[in-house]
Amino acid sequence: MQNLFIFTLMFAALGSAWNIIGGYSGYISLGHAAFFGVGAYAIGITFTHVSIGSGYRPFYVLPLVGIGVALVAVPIGWVAFRTRAATFAIVTITLLFVVQQLAYNLRSITGGSQGISLPPPSFPVATFEEPFFYAMLGVLALSMLASWWIRGSKLGLALLSIRDDEDRARGLGVQTGFAKMVAFALSSGLVAMAGGVWGYYIGFIYPQFAVDPLVTIGMVLMVYLGGKGTLWGPVLGAFILVPAQQYLAYRLGASNLYLVGYAAVFLVVMLLLPRGILPSIAERARRLRTRRLPPDPGRGPQAKEVVAS
Amino acid sequence: MGKRTQIIALVVVAAVSASLAAGAAASPTAGPIKIGISLSLSGDFSDPGKAVKRGYDLWAAYVNAHGGILGRQVQLKIVDDASSPNQVVSNYQNLITRDKVDLTFGPFSSLLTGPAATVANRYGYAFLEPAGGGPKVFALHLHNLFFVQPAPVVKCGDTFVQYLKTLPKAQQPKTASYASLDDPFSSPIADAMRAKLEKSGVKTVYKTIYPAETTDLTPIIGKAIAPKPDMIIGGTQSVDAYSQVKALIQANYNPKFLFFSNGANSPTEFPSKVGAKNVNGIFSCSDWTPTAPTSGNKLFVSEYIKKYGGNKFQIDNNSSEAWAVGQLLQLAVKKVGAIDNKKIITALHQGTWPTIEGNLSWDANGSPSGNDLLVEWVGGKLLPVYPKSFALAKPFSPKPAWGK
Amino acid sequence: MHVFIQACILGLLTGGVYALMASGLALGFGVMRVINVAQGALIILGAYLSYTLYSSLGIDPFIGLLVLTPAMFVLGVVLQIVFLRPLREEEREELSILVTWAIALGIEGILSIAYQTTYRSTITSYADRSWTVLGYYISVARTYAFVASIVVLVLLFAILRFTKLGRAVRATVQNPTAARLLGVETRLVSALGFGLSVATASAAGAVYGIVFPFNPGSHYDLISRLLTIIVLGGLGSLGGAVIAALGMGLAESLFSAEFSPTWASFTFFVVLIVMLVLRPQGLFGARVRGAI
Repeated sequence: MQNLFIFTLMFAALGSAWNIIGGYSGYISLGHAAFFGVGAYAIGITFTHVSIGSGYRPFYVLPLVGIGVALVAVPIGWVAFRTRAATFAIVTITLLFVVQQLAYNLRSITGGSQGISLPPPSFPVATFEEPFFYAMLGVLALSMLASWWIRGSKLGLALLSIRDDEDRARGLGVQTGFAKMVAFALSSGLVAMAGGVWGYYIGFIYPQFAVDPLVTIGMVLMVYLGGKGTLWGPVLGAFILVPAQQYLAYRLGASNLYLVGYAAVFLVVMLLLPRGILPSIAERARRLRTRRLPPDPGRGPQAKEVVAS
Repeated sequence: MGKRTQIIALVVVAAVSASLAAGAAASPTAGPIKIGISLSLSGDFSDPGKAVKRGYDLWAAYVNAHGGILGRQVQLKIVDDASSPNQVVSNYQNLITRDKVDLTFGPFSSLLTGPAATVANRYGYAFLEPAGGGPKVFALHLHNLFFVQPAPVVKCGDTFVQYLKTLPKAQQPKTASYASLDDPFSSPIADAMRAKLEKSGVKTVYKTIYPAETTDLTPIIGKAIAPKPDMIIGGTQSVDAYSQVKALIQANYNPKFLFFSNGANSPTEFPSKVGAKNVNGIFSCSDWTPTAPTSGNKLFVSEYIKKYGGNKFQIDNNSSEAWAVGQLLQLAVKKVGAIDNKKIITALHQGTWPTIEGNLSWDANGSPSGNDLLVEWVGGKLLPVYPKSFALAKPFSPKPAWGK
Repeated sequence: MHVFIQACILGLLTGGVYALMASGLALGFGVMRVINVAQGALIILGAYLSYTLYSSLGIDPFIGLLVLTPAMFVLGVVLQIVFLRPLREEEREELSILVTWAIALGIEGILSIAYQTTYRSTITSYADRSWTVLGYYISVARTYAFVASIVVLVLLFAILRFTKLGRAVRATVQNPTAARLLGVETRLVSALGFGLSVATASAAGAVYGIVFPFNPGSHYDLISRLLTIIVLGGLGSLGGAVIAALGMGLAESLFSAEFSPTWASFTFFVVLIVMLVLRPQGLFGARVRGAI
């Protein structure tokens, strides 16, 4: 069953990475799947020219892919951040389609619609999944580490202040441009690394699957479900949704209900649980706690009754 | 975020992880033969995927009604991959390691067959597949793979090129334009044809490859017909084939020869989409026709109509390809006398095997060594016209004017 | 030169259809500050309904609009009330994209179940005909589509300028608080305005279905173009959307004819990037605090 585990970890990593820009700063990037695809293609293109050696080479190249994509994300972010809110989201959607189109059109580099196929590594059958599993776990750990570190840092404060009121933050002297750019680049690099592991694992990189709007939707949905802006929310969201989705497809397939299902879950989350599971639980817990606070000492015997109920 | 919520999150994650890591109970090894298949029952490939399922189901029902295989009943375990490579990889892994199927059959499309076959190969399963015939699949050099069609997809146009050579020199086309779809099959077919045609002296006056989402082919056809070519070769799937025809009609251009690798070989869809009056004289290729004199074809056609109704021209090729996969497996198992993947693989790599798709044999990479049929629209009907042994009508050229 | 003019003709005709499609989006944003990413899917829904009316009942798509438009108007109002109104004002802009994207997916899923994924086309008798004028061929279907789009756009403008509802909508677009102070029922107006934008999708869909083959997944291609157009025109500006649509239709067609059909859709993105660098608010958008 480790195969499913790999995809779950992958989405947990993607969600955590997306959270860094989408959750902390409030800039909803709907094109992150583009970086996922770029990461996958980067590994694919590299290893059509370089041999995969013992099979571990792609994993060593992964950090380079992450850094490379993060750097590429900077000019993209510069153009995108000239807009705000809704327009930013639209621009990132457009980014997704641009990258997909490039993947189709730059045939000599990406193989066009014929895609790129990577030779499967010669890992022993019984433990074939393990290297990929650990690689994905590594990307997830990195994502969460980055997320955790940012939460406690000045960068994190800057991002939160942007989310609350960007103009005021800027007026107060917060380096909004720099903060957004760092978050965007970091987020993109991590997403690309996940894409690289995915590309190597599946072994076939096609434009419509590597750069797929459904990957973005999955990422975003899981973050919202688990709790946007929290540390563990994206991970929780992934651990709930990915097995559920694969289970439904495996057991109940044979109709296009999965799209409707995705849509339904999304809508339910947006409308009924917009802050996600973890914050809602935290909220409920806090309310329970405050209800149990000792009564105002000046109230006397009535207070005891209140506490007892 | 409080400690409590963190703990809750960790508990859920741990619980899910535990269930994911847990294995499943082993299933009995005697009893019915379990065949694991992942098909695209939803998503982009759902229509052909469902046609493949019909073929598989029909074959299984027929086999079980006639004594099964080696006295055992056949049980198909078909799961949906939603036309996604992620899912297809998971599916075959689950089928093999969790459901412990005895055998596997292939999914729909080269895009999914590649990743699926790699998984099956890892576990030593034979992979007989109906619909993965693109060059990328054979480039994997998988010994366990067998594409159950007479020829790899890229050679679809070879019979047309051979036919052209049989014409008197004066009637052969001198110039050609090529307009192909950018996908793993269509443009390779057109490219392969172009290479052969250029060698025999047909001048290429225009060639282009257009992206998959191009719904409007008017500008491309405009450029293709500008040098007034004798022949237009379309490396197409269905939608763009229809668009090319419509664009040609609108531009009022009638080439002497018109060939589409796909789309024009659909007996009912093509005339309904481009107009029944506009089909005559258009060539295409096909791996199977309902009237081909291949082994067991009459039986297949009658069984299909019995179960699904309609007439034989409405039978989708994908269903016949699926039946052929089952048919081939039966023959192989009969030869080796056991449900043994390794033995089946060795046996299939030798000799020729008669199926409704023709007499098949493969090279080391699973690529079949035969040829497809050339079909043409004659008198409003799609008929095989070449080679002669499979022809039901004489091929004719040049192409009549639109609407005739 | 011949190729150039032919491309211009084709581009303008296509641009007109884009204009109709984009106008709905622009209206939706203007009235409710909602980016309706489902507009593409709604257009495809319109195409499917129009196709069904034609193939089962033989009703010509343009006539079928008389039934479709009010039906989709109602659908729009319902969607707004059920899915968009519950969103809190502050989060509406951000969440509307996600909510409407989910709606788009839901529509795509339902259409896939109902119609399968085979490509369809509303093949009317005039679908393949073309007139030849001065050596240039002009597709009959596209011309009808263009004319229909212009007619609907003019109707839309007329409604906005001359009817009470229209004036209320424009007031709400310009300044919701002031409008409310002046007695405009902004909640009702928002719902009706949104209904109006979805109604344009029905017209656009009928038209689209005649000219292009479509399947449930076609909405992605559409929405990426439309979103680019309204950003170019300036979010919320109806006139900007129309001009941007015509311009992009022309640009794409010319690029396709003169250079390369494969890269034609890139013209949208290139122009978008240039616009973002030079003038992020689009042609006619306002530089409002936090609004672009």
